[in-house]
Amino acid sequence: MYAFFLQICSNSIKSGLRMSGTALSPFPLIPFSFPPDIGNKSYPLTKFPTRKLKSLAKISCSRSDNSSHSTSQQQQLNLSVLRFTFGIPGLDESYLPRWIGYAFGSLLLLNHFGGSDFSAITPAQLRTEVLGLSLAAFSIVLPYLGKFLKGATPNNEKSIPEGAEPIFLMSQNIPDTLKEDLAWGTYVLLRNTNTISVLIFIQDALCVRGYWNTPKDIPKDQVHDWFEKEINKTGLFDLRETLYFPQAEELWEILPRGTRSFLIQPVLHTQDSSSDKTEMSDGFVLLASSSTYAYSSKDRAWIRAVANKFRDPRNVRLMSALLR
Amino acid sequence: MGAGTLIRPTPLKSSPLSQQRPPPRTPTPGYHSSNSISIPRSSTPVKASSSLNSQGDYGGPKPKRECVADWVSQNDDVVRSLPIYVGGLSLLAVLVNRTISGIAPVADASSSQSRADLLTLGLAVTNILNGLVWLSIRPKSVSAVNPEGAECQSICPLLPDFISSELLWVWESLSDATCCRSLIIVYDKRVILQIGFATASSNTHDAVVVDVDKLMKGSLYQGALKSKSQSYLANLSLYPAKSELPFLPPNTQAVILQPLGDKGLAIIGGDMIRGFTTSDQAWITLVGEKLDATLAKMNNIPVNA
Repeated sequence: MYAFFLQICSNSIKSGLRMSGTALSPFPLIPFSFPPDIGNKSYPLTKFPTRKLKSLAKISCSRSDNSSHSTSQQQQLNLSVLRFTFGIPGLDESYLPRWIGYAFGSLLLLNHFGGSDFSAITPAQLRTEVLGLSLAAFSIVLPYLGKFLKGATPNNEKSIPEGAEPIFLMSQNIPDTLKEDLAWGTYVLLRNTNTISVLIFIQDALCVRGYWNTPKDIPKDQVHDWFEKEINKTGLFDLRETLYFPQAEELWEILPRGTRSFLIQPVLHTQDSSSDKTEMSDGFVLLASSSTYAYSSKDRAWIRAVANKFRDPRNVRLMSALLR
Repeated sequence: MGAGTLIRPTPLKSSPLSQQRPPPRTPTPGYHSSNSISIPRSSTPVKASSSLNSQGDYGGPKPKRECVADWVSQNDDVVRSLPIYVGGLSLLAVLVNRTISGIAPVADASSSQSRADLLTLGLAVTNILNGLVWLSIRPKSVSAVNPEGAECQSICPLLPDFISSELLWVWESLSDATCCRSLIIVYDKRVILQIGFATASSNTHDAVVVDVDKLMKGSLYQGALKSKSQSYLANLSLYPAKSELPFLPPNTQAVILQPLGDKGLAIIGGDMIRGFTTSDQAWITLVGEKLDATLAKMNNIPVNA
């Protein structure tokens, strides 16, 4: 039998019990800690009543905040949260239904073909087996559906594509403030989103950072030109809307091998021409990630914010002049 | 005017109290920015040549519509309880199957029928448990509370251009990506930006001016600067120190205090309890560091007489 550790973390703290009193831990190996007081600490109380276990060192359940319940809030099922873990760090237990689906499905087939001889298979058994196989198929699909639910924790493990090398490339003939902004922007995007490679192209200034597959036979000083050539091939500087490919293989040669999802955010400013407002593109920000569905809507909002930093200062100055 | 404040309140652009709420920031299905809708195309082969037409539009490959993801995001509740129904119905079906076939309901693994039944039962139970887990990790839906007060957009007039554009960029990013509705930046003992919603003073109905000295002597400011790290007051009504922030609208739900180096503080007020996610907090920390680096370049701005 599987020796899994069952942690029951009770969510019914509405009576105001302290966590130490109600936490049950049948297997004493797993330490249990509860969140510190809401003081001046910057402990993030997330929106979700519980948090997905990634490492076993700390399991924390946040309190359900009674005082702030508005009457219009939905009815919440007060269920105890079951958390299965195998005790192996790095193993994602939300894929358990998939493994069970495969295992039981193959056992069912084994039972059908390898069990008692063929002639003795009754219609009742066939019905059960059909039901079991469809359940197995459903279980296999379940983690895929679970990824799109609200509150699903994204997989933040970045895997580095093979053959890719970390580079940090920046155009030389640009003002210092733009260099600082580009360096900061690329750093922040690499750090705060599930990105392994980032490229910012603004008004002929190029900044490339992260893991890229540049061809090995090009000397170092021509890598910049190679990137510009590849960008020209893609035609991305005419882009006026955000493109998000959550499940694509590499469409262009410029993207590193192993890219599973990528996003292109144009840097736009509105230009009032004689007849109507048109959005002109100053450039774009390209982000590539090694996992699918890497960018949630919150990530995309922040990426848009970082891209707006690189808008033409002439247009931005207009805004601040309005405030004087 | 309080001593040391350089803010010149500027005329409000829109009606003070009833401001159109910006479009909701709840996650929307679909993968395109709200600016425009991309035409769904089936996956196209890559064309190496970029197709630039005369208007200069992008003509390359575009992502295809994600039907499953959209459907799941829109029918969140249904999908969460789906495994429970599927598992429960299968459980019943197995038992019914056993009874109508005349087999005794004994759970042993002797006959292949029993083995098949046990495996199916195991799968049904897995589904039910998974459905329970999904139901229990449903995020609490908190509704936003519209802040009461006057809108203001005040910026210190003597700042160089690059600083004022950076400050406005910070406000634009925060109000677009998070639930932030008020932003006050204090630097070098002065308020250099007060934007968004603020308490309306009772007689003039204009935004209240921030009393910097009182703020700087308060525990929130001192604590934030001493710890040099972000402070997140997820539910402001629970904190007695709320009285130190009288300039924020009285029904501000959450506040983030981000120190800017050791000379300044950014006070970010939001309209939802626990409205700032951990991702928002990380971003705000990094934006705060950038802002600190920019503000440090500011030379001593002379105090207006």
